[in-house]
Amino acid sequence: MSRTLADLRPVHVVGVGLHPYQRPSDAPYTRLGAHAVRAALADARLAWRHVESAYTGTATTSMGMSRLMYRHLGATGIRMAQVENASASGSTAFRQACVEVASGLADVAIAVGVDKPLSLTFPQRAAGLHDLVDGRVAPFTHFALLAERYLHDHGGTPEQFAAVAVKNSRNGALNPNAQRRRPRTLDEVLAPPRISGVLTRLQCCPIGEGAAAVIVASDDAIARHGLDRGRAVTVLASATRSERVYDGENFDAALTRETTGQALAEARVTAADLDVVELHDAFTVEELLYVEAMGLCPPGRAAAALAAGEFDIGGRVAVSPSGGLLSMGHPVGPTGVGQIAELTTQLRGEARDRQHPGARTGLAHMVGIGAVCVVHVLQRA
Amino acid sequence: MRIAAHPGLYDPAAPTPVLSGTRCARCRHVYFPPLGIGCEVCGADEEHLTPVPIDAVGAVHSRARVHRHLGAPLAPFTIAEIRLDAGPLIRGTLAGDGPRIGDRVHAVWAVTDTRDDGAETVEPVFTTTAPNGAAS
Repeated sequence: MSRTLADLRPVHVVGVGLHPYQRPSDAPYTRLGAHAVRAALADARLAWRHVESAYTGTATTSMGMSRLMYRHLGATGIRMAQVENASASGSTAFRQACVEVASGLADVAIAVGVDKPLSLTFPQRAAGLHDLVDGRVAPFTHFALLAERYLHDHGGTPEQFAAVAVKNSRNGALNPNAQRRRPRTLDEVLAPPRISGVLTRLQCCPIGEGAAAVIVASDDAIARHGLDRGRAVTVLASATRSERVYDGENFDAALTRETTGQALAEARVTAADLDVVELHDAFTVEELLYVEAMGLCPPGRAAAALAAGEFDIGGRVAVSPSGGLLSMGHPVGPTGVGQIAELTTQLRGEARDRQHPGARTGLAHMVGIGAVCVVHVLQRA
Repeated sequence: MRIAAHPGLYDPAAPTPVLSGTRCARCRHVYFPPLGIGCEVCGADEEHLTPVPIDAVGAVHSRARVHRHLGAPLAPFTIAEIRLDAGPLIRGTLAGDGPRIGDRVHAVWAVTDTRDDGAETVEPVFTTTAPNGAAS
């Protein structure tokens, strides 16, 4: 019988670091990634030679990219591999690092997300798949279709989607690692250019570049290396699933509901126990869909809960206190790792201006083209 | 002479668009676009997947006016998800911007290109079906 992460030995996040997400620049990915790794090592007060295994979450840069980056920390012979899982690449790299530590294959492992938007490809072409709208349905139109259907099913107005971007821009303005740092009004979010359906430009995430790194360790490693146990955050659950046949039901939401349900059960907590949530808000409509799918509010009630401030920092549950993909940005490989860095910072109580008071339990959620979904639950001791 | 803009998805010579789907002989699931290799629902292998013509008629499930698009066709245009009467939920381009969610639609031919020899490249686009079954 298979076991869950919770059945294995405990895994703790002991260090996090980021290179700010930004518009594409001339900086090589190696510099972005090494910056984030050094920041995570400094945060953990750990030497690179003690890291035994590295997983690099990446989807848009290059094959075989890990060693050219990690050699700048000192070529220790560390085992390394790239993890590609579309938007969930970083989340999956984090899962692999956790699994190594939980299983005892490593005492210290690192998940690094790094990407530059050099090569964005979609699998349908390689699979030889065609449909009647070949090339006409970009991701923003996929989500614009979901937005129109949401309005049909639940009523509401386009302004209710835009309110997601207003909240997340307010959070992102407080995050020095965010790509979009300006708080936006409802009028600004609703202003042209229109992209698809109800979605305007500021309701679509920016895809740039950046890096994020998270170090995970066992209890043994914390003791042996003298790490600060008081700042360690425990990984309670790691769940990942792929799309089934939902026969017309919104697969992004259905997959989120299944995977989140599995993660919460493994962590032995409920949605009501969550204090902070980082979710895949690449487009505004997604936040409303996913908070409902996660059980953070009843179906059709997300817009009202958002308007009531329930998802604000300081509200019932802070959703995307980092600014989310909409404001922090979505450099793809780093995104899922950056979510873990934000949750860790929140659960430690170190998020300064954007600290959610009393944060104890957090959930990170990413979906990726395919479709796949990855959910982690973290908790401070 | 008519040429399909999407070879393999419909017969361009037919007077009105009929879609080229697949039915799994084991679980009866109907696919459009057609599926090869194996059945997504039950895992039956390719020999169980048989071609089936599908009438291009159904109801609009969702729709979105696309304002940003590189290349042809020039934006704006409207994409719809359509629940076909045969079962599949497909995506298609609307003729114009009229049909709303819940409206009955059917496909008609749209000419996307005409060659020097007069051959036309065609694709199915969806338009509102009047209550009596005629195009509106």
